[in-house]
Amino acid sequence: MTTDTTSTAGPPATARVVDRAQYGLAAFLVVVGGCVLLDARGLHRGFADQPVQPYAVPYVVGTVVVILGLALAFATWRGDVPQAEEGEDVDLTQSSDWLTVAKLVGVFVLNLLVVNRLGWAISGALLFAGAAWALGSRTWIKDLAIGAALSLITWYGFYVGLGLPIPPGVLDGVL
Amino acid sequence: MTVVVAYSPDPYGEAALEAALEEAAVRRERVVVVNATKGDAYVDPRFATADQVEDLTARIAAAGLDGVVLHEVVDDVGAAVVAAAESGGARLVVVGVRHRSPVGKAIMGSVSQRVILDATVPVLAVKPQR
Amino acid sequence: MDSLGLLADGLASAATPQNLLYAVLGVLLGTLVGVLPGIGPAMTLALLFPITYAVPVDSALIMFAGIYYGGMYGGSTTSILLNTPGESSSVVTAIEGNKMAKAGRASQALATAAIGSFVAGTIGTLLLVLLAPTVSEWVVELGAPSYVAILLLALLAVSAALGASKLRGFISLFLGLTIGLVGTSTGQARLTFDQPLLADGIDVVIVAVAIFAIGEALWVAAHLRRAPLEITPVGQPWMSRSDWGRSWKPWLRGTAYGFPFGAMPAGGAEVPTFLSYLTEKRLSKHPEEFGKGAIEGVAGPEAANNASAAGTLVPLLAIGIPTTATAAIILDAMRSYGIQPGPQLFDNNGALVWTLLASLFIANTLLLVLNLPLAPVWAKLLRIPRPYLYAGILFFAALGSYSISFEPFDLLLLIVLGLLGLAMRRFGLPVLPLIVGVILGPDLEGKLTEALALSGGDVSTLWSEPVAVVCYVVLAGILAVLAVNAVRRRRSATSTDQEVAA
Repeated sequence: MTTDTTSTAGPPATARVVDRAQYGLAAFLVVVGGCVLLDARGLHRGFADQPVQPYAVPYVVGTVVVILGLALAFATWRGDVPQAEEGEDVDLTQSSDWLTVAKLVGVFVLNLLVVNRLGWAISGALLFAGAAWALGSRTWIKDLAIGAALSLITWYGFYVGLGLPIPPGVLDGVL
Repeated sequence: MTVVVAYSPDPYGEAALEAALEEAAVRRERVVVVNATKGDAYVDPRFATADQVEDLTARIAAAGLDGVVLHEVVDDVGAAVVAAAESGGARLVVVGVRHRSPVGKAIMGSVSQRVILDATVPVLAVKPQR
Repeated sequence: MDSLGLLADGLASAATPQNLLYAVLGVLLGTLVGVLPGIGPAMTLALLFPITYAVPVDSALIMFAGIYYGGMYGGSTTSILLNTPGESSSVVTAIEGNKMAKAGRASQALATAAIGSFVAGTIGTLLLVLLAPTVSEWVVELGAPSYVAILLLALLAVSAALGASKLRGFISLFLGLTIGLVGTSTGQARLTFDQPLLADGIDVVIVAVAIFAIGEALWVAAHLRRAPLEITPVGQPWMSRSDWGRSWKPWLRGTAYGFPFGAMPAGGAEVPTFLSYLTEKRLSKHPEEFGKGAIEGVAGPEAANNASAAGTLVPLLAIGIPTTATAAIILDAMRSYGIQPGPQLFDNNGALVWTLLASLFIANTLLLVLNLPLAPVWAKLLRIPRPYLYAGILFFAALGSYSISFEPFDLLLLIVLGLLGLAMRRFGLPVLPLIVGVILGPDLEGKLTEALALSGGDVSTLWSEPVAVVCYVVLAGILAVLAVNAVRRRRSATSTDQEVAA
C-alpha cells in the first residue's frame, strides 16, 4: 500500500529538485479517493428519513482526496519538496536506511502470522529480539532473554492485573 | 612496536591508561588509545567528550611518548580494539576490567572479555586500585 | 465559588491511596517517556490504552493526566541537557537551556523549568477549573447546527494552522476522514471490502498506535542517529535568590501566553513558547545574556508550554474537541468508558470531571516533588541502547493492538497504518490532522444527520443559529487568508523557506 516510500531515498540538496517519490504519494491519494468513490457507488439509499445518505459523505471525501492527490502531483511538478520530520533520534543528514525498515516490517509480519499458534508469550519474545536484531543489536541471547521476560511479564500482567487472558497458544497449560 | 589501550573515561579506563603509559615508557613505544562506542544509545558515558580526547593527547605527550587517540563510532568496540592491535603491530593490549561474577559475565558480556578472547597478542588486564 | 466547592470534593476522591498511586505512576511514566528519545506523551497514552479495559475510569484518567503533564516536563530535561528538543514545544527551551547547561548552570535551568512548569500548570489548571464549566454551560445551549459549524472550524484550524504546508495538512485530514468512514455506523458497510472484521470500523487506538508508535519507530529506524551526544552532568537542581528574582515574572507571562493558545483549536504550544521567548528577550534586564544562557529564556517558554497543556483541556472537556494529539487519545479513552466529553459532561459525570481536575493539581505537585530530586536519575535513562528502546515500542504497540480483540488482523491493520505513518513522516504530512479527522469525522456526519433530521431535511437550518453563523464567518476568513497568502506566495515565486524559518 505504501511501497512507493521504500523506492527512493531523500532528495539531493540541489536547487529546484523534483521529489519523484512524492508522485507515488499523489498516486496513492488518487487511488484511495477512487476506492472511496467506487465504494460509495455501491451503497444504496438508506431509510427515507435518513437526511444524510450513507453515500453522501464518502462522495465528498473521495472527491476531495482525488483533488488533493492531483494538487500534490502539481505541486511536486512545480518543485515542492517535503520537509521530512525531524526528531530527537533522527539524523536526516544521512541517507535513509530502508533495509532496516524492511527487516522490522518482516519481523512484525512474522509475529502476526504466528501469534495465535505460538501464543503471545513466545511470539512477543521473538518480536522483541527480532526487532532488536534488525536495529543492530548482536547480543541475541540477551535480547531473547529480555524479550521472554517482557512477554511473560506482560502476559501475567494482563492475566492477573487486567483480568484479560491473552490466548496462550502452544503454552496452554504451561503458563 | 606499539601498546594499544582500550580506554573509557572511568576508573577502569584510567587504570588501563596508566598501565599502558608505564609499559610504553619502558621501551619508548608508541601508544594507541582506543575509545570507541557502538553509538547505539542516546548517551554513552564511556565515550569520551571532545575535551577529554584533547586531554588524552596532552597526557600522552606529557609522558614524553608518541601516540594517537582513536575516537570513533564502530559496530563492535571489542573488535575495534583487536583490529587496532593487529593493524598497528602491537606488542601488548591493555584493558581495564571490572569485577563481575561468572554469571554476570555470561549475561552482560564485556569489551575486555572480547579483547582477551580475540586478541592475538598478549593482553594485560588491570584493575583500578581500591 | 461553586466550582471551588466541587473541586474540594474532587480533591477528596482523587486523594484516595489507589488514585494517588496511579497519579504517581502516571507522573513518573510521563517524565520517563518525555526524557526518552522518540517517545512522546501521545504515543505513551496510545500504548497504555489496554489499561482502560480493567482500571476504573477515574484512576485511568488520573494516570493519563499525570502522563500528559509529566511528558511536558520530561521534554525540557533532554532539551536542557542534550540540546535535542523532543517535542516541538521544547525547541525554544533548548536555545537558552542548553547554553546554560554548557556554562555549568544545568541545575538552575532544570530548576527554573520545573518550578516554572509547576507555577504555570497550577495557574493553568485553576483557569481550567473556572473556565470549563462556564464554557460548557454556554455550549450546552447550542444545537446540532452550531456543532456542525464548530466541528468544521476545528477540522479546518487543525489542518491549516499547523506546519508549513497547508496542502499537506489537508491531505492528512482527509486521510483521517477516509479511515473514519470505514465501518457500518450508517447502517451500510462502507469501505469494509466485505471483511467482517472491518464492520465495526477501525479502532482509533489502532490508528493512534500505528501512526504514533509504529510510524515513528520505523522512521527513526530509517534514520538512526549513530554518534552519541555529549551530556552535561547534573547535580541537584537548585536556584539562587537572583535566579528566583529573574524567573518569576517570565513564569507568569509565559502562563499568560500558553493558556489561551492551548485552549484555541490548533493553538498548540509552539507559538506561545516562541512568543514568550521573544517577550523575555525584549523585556530582560540582561539582554546580552540571551543566546548565551539567559534563565528568563528557559523560565518563560517552559511555563508557556505547561500552561498550554492545561488550556488544551478546556475545549476537550467542555466541547469534546481535541486540539493536540495527546488530547485526542484522552478523548478516545473517555469514550471507551462510555463517557462523552462535551457540554453534558459536567452534568452527567460531574464527580468524575472534578476528580480529574483535582488530580491535575496533584499531578503537578508530584512532578515538582518527585522530579527535582530525580533529575540525575532521569539523565541516566538516556543510556538505554536504541535497539531495546525501539524494539520495546514495537513490542508494546503490538501487544496493545492485539489485546483489543486477540485478532491477528488488528496487527495487520497496525503495520499497514504504521507504514502510512512512516510515509507521512517521509513526506512531511502532519499527524495531528489525521488523528483528529478519524475521531471528529464520524462526529461531524452524526451531527449533520441530527441537524437535518430535526429540520426535516431543510438545509438552511445549518446557518439558523448565531454561533454557527459566527463559525462560518471565521471559517470563510481563514480560507480567505489562506487564499491571499497562496496568491502572494506564488507572486513572490522564490523560496518560501525563509518565511517558515523566521
